[in-house]
Amino acid sequence: MSEINVILMQMVTGVSLGSLYVLLAIGLSLIFGMLTVVNFAHGAYFMVGAYAGVYTYTLTGNFWVSLVATPLVAGALGLLAARLLIRPLYGRGIDYPLLLTFGLSYVMIDTIRALFGIEGLPTSTPAALRGAVNIGIGHFPLYRLFLVAVTAAIVVVLWLFIEKTRYGLIIRAGVRNPEIVRVLGVDISRIWLLVFGLGCAIAGLSGALIAPIRAVTPEMGISVLVESFVVTVVGGMGSLPGAVTAGLLVGIVYSMTSLYAPDLAELSIFVLMAIVLLVRPQGFFGRAGLMA
Amino acid sequence: MNSPILVAENIGVQFDAFTALKNVSVAFKARQLTAVIGPNGAGKSTFFNVVSGSLIPSTGRIRFNGQDITGAKQHEFARMGIAKSFQITNVFPQLTVGENVRLAAQMRRSRFGLLVPRQSMTDLIVLAESLLERVGLAKAFHLPARDLAHGQQRCLEIAMALACDPKLLLLDEPTAGMSPEETLDMMDLITRLAEERTVILVEHKMKLVMGICQRLIVLHHGELLAQGTPNDIRANYEVKRVYLGQKV
Amino acid sequence: MSSIDITDVVSPRGAPQGSRTVLQRSMEFITRHRVAAVIALLVLLPWLVPYEALAVNILIFGLFAVGFNLLFGYTGLLSFGHAALFGSGSYGAGIAIVHFGWPWWLAIPAGVTLASLVGLVIGYLAIRSRGIYFSMVTLALAQCVYFAFYKAGRYTGGEDGLRGITVDVINVFGWRLDFLHPTTKYFVLLVFVAAALWFISRVLASPFGAVIEGIRENERRAAACGYDVAATKLIAFVISAAVCGLAGTLRALHLSTVPIESLHYLTSGHVVMMSLLGGMGTFFGPFVGAAFVLLIEEFATNFTKYWQLLVGLVFVVFVLFFPRGIWGSILHWLGRR
Repeated sequence: MSEINVILMQMVTGVSLGSLYVLLAIGLSLIFGMLTVVNFAHGAYFMVGAYAGVYTYTLTGNFWVSLVATPLVAGALGLLAARLLIRPLYGRGIDYPLLLTFGLSYVMIDTIRALFGIEGLPTSTPAALRGAVNIGIGHFPLYRLFLVAVTAAIVVVLWLFIEKTRYGLIIRAGVRNPEIVRVLGVDISRIWLLVFGLGCAIAGLSGALIAPIRAVTPEMGISVLVESFVVTVVGGMGSLPGAVTAGLLVGIVYSMTSLYAPDLAELSIFVLMAIVLLVRPQGFFGRAGLMA
Repeated sequence: MNSPILVAENIGVQFDAFTALKNVSVAFKARQLTAVIGPNGAGKSTFFNVVSGSLIPSTGRIRFNGQDITGAKQHEFARMGIAKSFQITNVFPQLTVGENVRLAAQMRRSRFGLLVPRQSMTDLIVLAESLLERVGLAKAFHLPARDLAHGQQRCLEIAMALACDPKLLLLDEPTAGMSPEETLDMMDLITRLAEERTVILVEHKMKLVMGICQRLIVLHHGELLAQGTPNDIRANYEVKRVYLGQKV
Repeated sequence: MSSIDITDVVSPRGAPQGSRTVLQRSMEFITRHRVAAVIALLVLLPWLVPYEALAVNILIFGLFAVGFNLLFGYTGLLSFGHAALFGSGSYGAGIAIVHFGWPWWLAIPAGVTLASLVGLVIGYLAIRSRGIYFSMVTLALAQCVYFAFYKAGRYTGGEDGLRGITVDVINVFGWRLDFLHPTTKYFVLLVFVAAALWFISRVLASPFGAVIEGIRENERRAAACGYDVAATKLIAFVISAAVCGLAGTLRALHLSTVPIESLHYLTSGHVVMMSLLGGMGTFFGPFVGAAFVLLIEEFATNFTKYWQLLVGLVFVVFVLFFPRGIWGSILHWLGRR
């Protein structure tokens, strides 16, 4: 392959990696924007989603069923956590929900270990999505292209939901100014729970999507949590365009660094984050003065 | 000759598409009690935030005693001698009332050691006691600040603002949420304070300030509508038009 | 958000009038001599717990929690990356001994210095970010440090950790102390912990200590009073880093190795838990918390391998119902009577 092709292929890999980050960052941003809660259990929901996906796929033999079931399971668990654990903390200060979700992640990880063992689950790519496809510059794994396509679809659906529906309007207003929405008499607490559930559902779905090409272990959510935080800081918390842009950027930075300096690949995203913090601390799309 | 202690030149503040302040130019004379008034939404708080250092204006400059201080950081304002109280009470809730004031006064020490016990700095404690005496809170010295009633907390804020011995005192709606007696006490206190230092007050209750201020600045829709003595303002046609329906 | 050490409610010229019970008076006495009280307890600790290694762990992690508490309980900054400081201290001391052949008494300052430098960088970047990002940024930067140490295998041993930090004998003023003897080791480490405790106590009681509490209570007000909030936070971060780094160096000497997990997110989480469970913003809280968590883990591992689940549940319960932690709740209850 020519030099240009190699670079382009690597960028496409970056985009497919970035898709995962986009989904995770969207979930985090939604939850933060609406509830002002930093969900430290986001990686754990991702992991639970991966397990749920593999489990239902193995049970039903149908990958599409698992993709529908997983967000429902993750979303339900998210709703439960929001209702029982996070809502009581309302008004106590921004650190408490963070601490709580952190503790929750411990519980979730060990529960999965208890239920499924510490080794992890074997996974496989569904038959329909195996193999590689010629995308002009070379052959690229079909499953990774599928990931990009699904992410794009989810982003579009979410965008439509938030921009065009009544619930979306409430969410946008809530992100901008929670007080106003409360005063207007909208049942904000129910929206709260739903948004938290939605964020966790997306996290869980991304876990199920990534399962065929990654090791599914109880610890898989930990590194992913860190990476989602990097994306959120780079893109700006509470911003959906920020989540998309930063997610793709981080994915591309990672994959390009893997090409030229593989040992530094993991460090590259942190360097990116550090640069953003020095130059534009609120992130690309973040509003200056957010929680300043 | 009373040269202006604080000058705001062409102050403009833009929030995205919304213009909060436009071309506001005002000079505040020293040792005067000036009030910035206007109906709600006039931009008084925005103006207050600009001259007190919480907000950097989009355009314009601020001069304090001749020195350009536009863009200075919030903590530099206090060090220059500009102290403020906030519209929504801002104290240190879990610390005691005495500690609140002592901590506010502590900034007078430019260099403090990491190993010196602060309770040995008795002059600051004595100063805190006398300031609290002044605002009528001497008995509350050992109470946590959050246990104070609302009106008392506003008085605490004044004591804290005085703790750094400011040349300029900025008060944002100091009587907000106070009972009529508390309001009278507060206005009394402010009048006495204005005898020894420059005080700028933001208020939306015109009646309160008419009697005690030497000068009034009237804002409306983010612009300067009128300025002058209370008599000037009373006679001002524009002001009457804007406040139509309100007793002057 | 945190509970207040009783000294803050008592002025130096006498507490508010009214009857103070014997219990309250003894609490005041203990608080006035808090360093001595903690040291006294720590001196007795080896005889209060089932075995020595647990005592040493409580000592080391207690100090780690003390350093963390300065930042979290007193300044109000929740860092999820303190493993980077703890681990840097460990690796700093370990590398000094293993690769440069330094004696132990130079290795300890080396570890503390490395931890302080790492703290300076992480602190600067994290403080620069807006409030809510602070925890996320510290977590991310700590993972970065983790990867960096992981990759630098030549110096750090990579995945296997750094081995061979052997300190057998300590020569002090002509005495030869057998460091391998558990009790001797404990008391040598205690000397350092005691010194650090004294230092922290002085810092907390200093004017600087008042400013960081002001920042925790109300940043805007602190700035309006004339305090450079960002600079103060950074200084607090570096002091915290130094103390946590010291805890790390002591751990390296204790274990004779530095496991790579010292730098991992889970270690950061560990100290967060200890701090909250013990009582944030109190002087005794960190040691109470460290002892509590280590004892639970000790207890739990005896009959289940899912001790993380138990610790996590206890933590969630505390966050929901006892946010003041054990010691903080005790203080609060005493203050109420």
